[in-house]
Amino acid sequence: MIEVNNLHKSFVSKKNTVKALDGLSFTAKDGEITGILGPNGAGKTTCLRTLYGLLKADEGFATIDGIKVTEQPLEARKRLGIFPDKFGLYERLTAYEQVDYFASIHGMQGANKHAAIEQIFKDLEMGELAHRRTAGFSQGQRMKVTLAQALVHQPKNFVLDEPTRGLDVMSTRILRNHLAKFKEKGHCILFSSHVMQEVAALCDRVIIVSGGKLAAQGTPQELCDLAGEKLLEDAFVKLIGSDEGVAA
Amino acid sequence: MMQLKALMVKEFKEAFRDKRALMVAMSMALMMPVMIMVMLKVAIKEAVDNPAVYVKYTGEQHAPKLIKALKDENILSFADVPEDEERNWNERNIELTIPDSFNEDMANGMPIELVMRADYNEKSLSTPIRRIKDVVRAHSLTIGYKRLLVRGVDIKLLQPIKLVEQDTSLPSSNAVMISLILGVYLMMAAFMSGLSIAIDSSAGERERNVLEMLLCQPISTLKIVLAKLTCASSISIISIILMLVLTSVAMNFVDLTKIGATFNINVATFATLLLLLIPVCFLAASLQLFFSFQAKSFKEAQSTVTMLIAVPSMIPIALMIMDDKPAWVNWMPISGQSMLMEDVFKGLPVDWNALLFTSAATIAVTAGIVLTLAKKLTSEKVVMSLS
Repeated sequence: MIEVNNLHKSFVSKKNTVKALDGLSFTAKDGEITGILGPNGAGKTTCLRTLYGLLKADEGFATIDGIKVTEQPLEARKRLGIFPDKFGLYERLTAYEQVDYFASIHGMQGANKHAAIEQIFKDLEMGELAHRRTAGFSQGQRMKVTLAQALVHQPKNFVLDEPTRGLDVMSTRILRNHLAKFKEKGHCILFSSHVMQEVAALCDRVIIVSGGKLAAQGTPQELCDLAGEKLLEDAFVKLIGSDEGVAA
Repeated sequence: MMQLKALMVKEFKEAFRDKRALMVAMSMALMMPVMIMVMLKVAIKEAVDNPAVYVKYTGEQHAPKLIKALKDENILSFADVPEDEERNWNERNIELTIPDSFNEDMANGMPIELVMRADYNEKSLSTPIRRIKDVVRAHSLTIGYKRLLVRGVDIKLLQPIKLVEQDTSLPSSNAVMISLILGVYLMMAAFMSGLSIAIDSSAGERERNVLEMLLCQPISTLKIVLAKLTCASSISIISIILMLVLTSVAMNFVDLTKIGATFNINVATFATLLLLLIPVCFLAASLQLFFSFQAKSFKEAQSTVTMLIAVPSMIPIALMIMDDKPAWVNWMPISGQSMLMEDVFKGLPVDWNALLFTSAATIAVTAGIVLTLAKKLTSEKVVMSLS
């Protein structure tokens, strides 16, 4: 379970101050897929970075399975599988070695680790990529490697920052099925996306963030009802009170 | 522990697969023995041999005895220059003009003016010019002495004071020059070899967006820094070992006995040098990581780190110039090692106290840098500059 409680965060530079988070609170429950929606610059990535413990909130706190990220960052991160907004690959390693590396960091070893890696490569249908160096990989293949390394240790909580950008239809479907499977097993999944259909199809609950605050939350249907619109996209635009989200 | 192992395995894999960076790292080790060998060969040749000098004479027929005296010292006429050296000596262009009145003036005891024209600023000419001057002066003195002798004057009157020179340098300390060069090179190798690897694993990873992902993992930044430090410094250590081995081999091809020097790196010297240099490798790697982690881009890291690292590698050179060394240079990192290395090369016994002290100081500074860096990596500033 991921809880975000009254997060405030400002970035101060010499010229100006940007308030990225302004009292954001929400909960992503176990056994549910929670989607974060918001226009560009709404504070989604800042919020997620606070969850990973990369940024420290000015006020408020985030907990993962009840563990405060600021107090025990390593413990909290152990329970997280992260697909960050910016990711890169170790281009001189093979896909297998990279996933192996992250599995080891998460404390897996021996036959267990190898079985887990084999499994994730099979699940994401990337067996033929396994022993190739990642240097020439396409965007979609890179995404897959990053997903594999985020999921290999079967974390209780997933945080995925726009995991489907650049994926082809087949891969998106594989990912969706995968997430659904983890949801069945009672994992907590939090992901941000700009693709409304995907959010509508996949998410049990949607959190709409705007201006660093919670604008609305509920099931996709509840949000549509709340805004009095049929499509989630229209509801989204109405709820954040501007058209800027459309371009995002 | 397992995490640290995984981190290290990955760092080494990446480092050894980056063939170019590795080549750069090892190039110093490969270049240096060759350079030392060439430098020594040139130095020995200049110190020992009397290479032929070719002079363009005018009026040589007037002074056959002088020409013979010059010839005895291997100073020859330009007319005899071998074809392959002709261009060189034509460019160097030493002219010696003997006046037509030479014989007449000589017979009359009049002063004779020989004119030597050459570019006195040209470095390669300084030895030939000196040699010609010596021969002419000696020849002139001989004639002068003979004139006095036939007039019944004791030529000792011309030398009221004679300076007797005694060289106290031991035969082995003739190798000081070699060892100084070797010392500077070893220090530079310790500082430079790991450079590309250190920058690639810090600023490079940041630029490739893998650092953020790593910082989100349940792993302490101290372990990350330690893994990268170990990898970069191992590369330097390998480079130093390679350098020492190759230099020992290369020395066999240079006949040092000609200048009365001996030089060999035996097992004990080898071990002492490694013991001295390993802490320096770690210090250098920690400095490189410290600065390149804070640089905003790979390029910035490259320029700042190269600049900053050049400073410590200048210390041995500064020590060479310094005549009155204050006491603290003996135990300060880098300078302490330089002083000790000098002793080792001179064949003096190793001052183990100084070695222990300077190593401890170096390790302490390294630990300080590592801890500061680990702390810095948890700060928001580093994360902020990721995006």
